[in-house]
Amino acid sequence: MVDDLIIGMAGSGGDGIVSAGESLINAAAKEGYYAILTKSFGSQIRGGESSCRLRLSTQPVLNPGGVLDVAVVLNWEDFLRFGCELPVGPETIVIYEDKTGVEPALIPLKGVRPAAVLKVPMEAMALKAAGVLLAKNNVVLGLLAGWFGLAHQSILGGIRKKFAKKGEAVLKGNEQAFAAGLDYAEHNPLGVDRRLGTPSPDSRRKILTDGNDMCAAAALFAGCKFFGGYPITPASEIMQYLSREIWKHGGSVLQAEDEIAGIAAAVGASFAGIKSMTATSGPGLSLKTEVLGLASVAELPLVCVDVQRGGPSTGMPTKREQADLFAAVFSAHGDTVRPVLAPISVEDSFGITVEAFNIAEQFQTPVIVLSDQEIAQRKETVHPVDPSAFKLVERLRPSSKELDPYVRFRFTESGISPISHPGMKGGNYLAAGIEHNELGAPTANGEMHARMNDKRLKKMAPLHQRRDLFIIEGDADAEIGLISWGSVAGVAIEAAKLARAEGIKVKLLIPKLLYPIAEDIFADFFKPLKKCLVVEQSHQGQLYRLIRMWAAVPPSYSVLAKSGSNPITPEEVLEKTREMARA
Amino acid sequence: MSNECPLSPEVFTAKDYRSSLKPIWCPGCGDYGVVTAIYRALAAINRPPHEIAFISGIGCSSRIPGYTTAYGFNTVHGRALPIAQGIKMANPDLLVLVAGGDGDGFSIGGGHVAHAIRRNPSLTYIVMDNQIYGLTKGQLSPTSPRGLKTSSTQYGSMEDPVNPLLYVLAYGASFVAQGAPGDMDGLAKLIEQAIRFPGFSFVNIQSPCITYGDPETQLKTQKARIRKLEAEGHDPSNRLRAMELAQEYGTTLYTGVFYQNPNPPPTYESLIRARQQALQGADSPLEDLLEKSAENGGNGELVAG
Repeated sequence: MVDDLIIGMAGSGGDGIVSAGESLINAAAKEGYYAILTKSFGSQIRGGESSCRLRLSTQPVLNPGGVLDVAVVLNWEDFLRFGCELPVGPETIVIYEDKTGVEPALIPLKGVRPAAVLKVPMEAMALKAAGVLLAKNNVVLGLLAGWFGLAHQSILGGIRKKFAKKGEAVLKGNEQAFAAGLDYAEHNPLGVDRRLGTPSPDSRRKILTDGNDMCAAAALFAGCKFFGGYPITPASEIMQYLSREIWKHGGSVLQAEDEIAGIAAAVGASFAGIKSMTATSGPGLSLKTEVLGLASVAELPLVCVDVQRGGPSTGMPTKREQADLFAAVFSAHGDTVRPVLAPISVEDSFGITVEAFNIAEQFQTPVIVLSDQEIAQRKETVHPVDPSAFKLVERLRPSSKELDPYVRFRFTESGISPISHPGMKGGNYLAAGIEHNELGAPTANGEMHARMNDKRLKKMAPLHQRRDLFIIEGDADAEIGLISWGSVAGVAIEAAKLARAEGIKVKLLIPKLLYPIAEDIFADFFKPLKKCLVVEQSHQGQLYRLIRMWAAVPPSYSVLAKSGSNPITPEEVLEKTREMARA
Repeated sequence: MSNECPLSPEVFTAKDYRSSLKPIWCPGCGDYGVVTAIYRALAAINRPPHEIAFISGIGCSSRIPGYTTAYGFNTVHGRALPIAQGIKMANPDLLVLVAGGDGDGFSIGGGHVAHAIRRNPSLTYIVMDNQIYGLTKGQLSPTSPRGLKTSSTQYGSMEDPVNPLLYVLAYGASFVAQGAPGDMDGLAKLIEQAIRFPGFSFVNIQSPCITYGDPETQLKTQKARIRKLEAEGHDPSNRLRAMELAQEYGTTLYTGVFYQNPNPPPTYESLIRARQQALQGADSPLEDLLEKSAENGGNGELVAG
């Protein structure tokens, strides 16, 4: 019995391998397992090689895992193209297509001896059972269900649902293909027991969704009534979701002519008094920068989601990277502080997006949400949202006493001034990107400029105390620390758990507020530390460097930083942690 | 919709739309005439200033919202139109005016004009066209004539100018006019007509730059050069004839309505309202946002109950 199972599958476009992964995660989630499904494709628009990685667990999981427990290979060329995305190790059970003609002793995996290598005539079984090669993926499902004790009934239910409309013959063929896989597994038992245990009884319902849908749903929940954007991978699904749903809640979506117009319209909508959002990926963030600066100076609330992908420039649009941090934090001219938040999982995308709206409204500022390709597009089992867990914040409106005459940018103790909007009688003012005095009138006076800069910066002060935007766990007196963020945080959390299980004392810090840097929170975390490792998916270690700009770091402060599309696994972070403990 | 111009019980005069800010424009600038014409047009329409949103980009002329008592937004260079569309979509009841120079509208922001026209929101786009960059001190603008020597084209421009009138006509704008502060009554009337038009309306205004502009085209000679389209017997419902006349941009100073679509397409905000109303019944409780998604073709799916 195992409580965690990582399955990787690869084939060519028509093999239905991703569809098999989706069937499995649906079935597993129905049975109450926790699960994450990531998909990876070649760069072709349709066809080409495709793969998926499915992690099933009896306990909550926060990352897609490292070395595969099970590798399903429909052909070796396609499998090998995914290289380090589908790593095989000594514990892996490799199941491959007989038709590849390779003998088990000669499989093309250099330097690894998997736990078992099983050559299975999947194509032949599909042809025999269903008469069509297309049923191959259901043979695979049968094999996996049989060998690893996965949800037979739920998988079968899924197959029935999927093929219900395709006619009796097609449905029967696919059922038979599944049964053939099950039967094969039964007659060819694995030497080792790798059956997945039963999930911990959890009466709470689960939803299978991805980070982009979660983010869009959160925007609606937060009261977003306008979205302006432009299609871009891997963020487009946010606009797609809202273009379907937002009208029902009295809002609207503008698919703009370009990225700049998308954010510009969102800034306009915010000026007009409603909550608004834009979403993009790296190249779009670069284009939107000037208008983000406008929102900062005009003190208009705005949420800008950046679903990071590999960069710079076009980079690798379908791969994860966390290298937009510098851009999110620094890419505005002038002295601006713009809050930057990052969710750590699909489930977390909801709360962080709601938080982004709250911070934008409270502090009258643009807020950037740094999601990433993995969170945005992986499927994950999440708990249904509990609306009572969230408080929604609305911008401070002027009272009738504060209107006519109205002083839009009045200097206040908090730096926050009540904001009116067109249509509000007596609240008329001039908003502008140009520096202005309290009334909004343009100025080039140095003293006024300094005071306004001070106002715009000091209003963010309460953010520095937001400990709830950090995960801090582990041994309080540990001398070893781990820091990570975004989707990679899930890897560090698991590594820290594994290290502590080995008796290594370690502390973990996961900032969901990336900027402004909360100096006190970092100082408290660093206080007992002798060694600290930052784990992140960027080549130069952007978070590692950003922290050092504001905080005094421990004597030994290092980084595990990798360019996008190079997996970071719990095992290797654990090994780094062991090294820190040994030295 | 702004074009319906609901009557306010209060009566506003031109000076109710004038703010206390003193314009930064040079004495003799055409833009003084433009802002005066806007005060008059707004008074004729009589919407209270707080129901007006006046959006601009960057340039001398883009300072104009600050000289009115409306809600103003002096934004960034070239992006006034998309910002204004966001405002109109957020609150269709507002009267939305957009203004800027020829550089703002047809150079850095040129890509947005076509798309505003395609959507047809009820907003009025006023371009103060002076064929030069004034704020940055005399560089070539997109409407500068070929051969013009400027501070950035010391040996003369090697490009043809943009023809703003033909540009918007070609993209299908339903209301296209040109005015000049040399004919103040005509300009105020034209702006009023544009605001009352249900949909996207465009007014190009020949507003000479006294400091860097062509000495031959200044205000004092403008009146004599004006040829009123109405007096020429032009039928504004004739789009092809409008395009023919528009080809004389840069040589003949026509003022008046070049084109007014007798059957304009629906306004963007009317379509938005209709869609919101049609779908409002399908409203789903917020806690079902993700569950619903699956049924509606999204990625979310409720899998365990």
